[in-house]
Amino acid sequence: AMEERRYRSASGAPIALRRRQHSASCRELAVRCPRLQLRSLSAVTCAVWLAAYGLFVLSENSMVLSAAIFITLIGLIIYLHFVKIDQESLLVIGSLGIQVTSSYASGKESTTFIEMSQVKDVVINEAIHMQKVIYYLCILLQDPGDPQGVSEVVPLFQSSKPRLDCLIEVYKSCQEILEQRMTAPQSS
Amino acid sequence: ENSPAPLPERAIYGFALFLGSWFGFILYLIWAFIPETWLFTLGLTYWPQKYWAVALPAYLLVAIGVGYILLFGINMMSTAPLNSTDTITDNYAKKQQQKKFQEEAIPALRDIPISEVNRMFFLPEK
Repeated sequence: AMEERRYRSASGAPIALRRRQHSASCRELAVRCPRLQLRSLSAVTCAVWLAAYGLFVLSENSMVLSAAIFITLIGLIIYLHFVKIDQESLLVIGSLGIQVTSSYASGKESTTFIEMSQVKDVVINEAIHMQKVIYYLCILLQDPGDPQGVSEVVPLFQSSKPRLDCLIEVYKSCQEILEQRMTAPQSS
Repeated sequence: ENSPAPLPERAIYGFALFLGSWFGFILYLIWAFIPETWLFTLGLTYWPQKYWAVALPAYLLVAIGVGYILLFGINMMSTAPLNSTDTITDNYAKKQQQKKFQEEAIPALRDIPISEVNRMFFLPEK
């Protein structure tokens, strides 16, 4: 079963949450960010090229123009490959673990897998981030020495930054699977 | 014993500071405006260069302006990042002792773990 719903990010951009239920103990939640807008790309390119033309008029050196074209192309490639995230997804498999995937606009995917024995809980935390207080979903990792302790916090959906309504949906889906750990413990 | 009421000693301190600050201000004006030759004829040859009469206030104002930006920056640097455990707990919460639950009494104050808080807020009660 698959469903998709629209929400807003912390900064107001439209994002979409897609929920897929693969089985009773396996769920995939993907947040899709808005794609690179043509108008912002054109605006940045025009600004950089106008500035380069102004420098060319002042310095009479035509290398400035070719350098500007080069910088714009390289900058766009670096932005698409390292900065612009297209989709962030969370795959929760009840007995196995949690997989976090970020797909960049250039097609690159970066994946992290966390074993279920290391996962203490998935919670919505509030923290101060750049003069704002934001809600964000995070995975709490178990401290091996202390059953009540948290050794590490892994924040999720860092670049799409969904708002609280979207986070509550993701939280409820994850908790339904994590609760099964308590009721059906398996010896491995 | 420490009241903000006026006392004779406080009045004397205040007046001494008042006279002292007026004296300092007149001295600064003399140093800044009276030509060097006149000061030499009076015998005052070892005063600092007049350059500092303008430089020190300029340094002070720039330092105050930079101080605003510096304080803002230090605040931002001291804020815990999103992936640190300081956003969840701290040493006092880890070492807290649990008080025994008493019937008909208000429960003791304690730091509630974030998992419990989340379940209360976001999972609907059945």
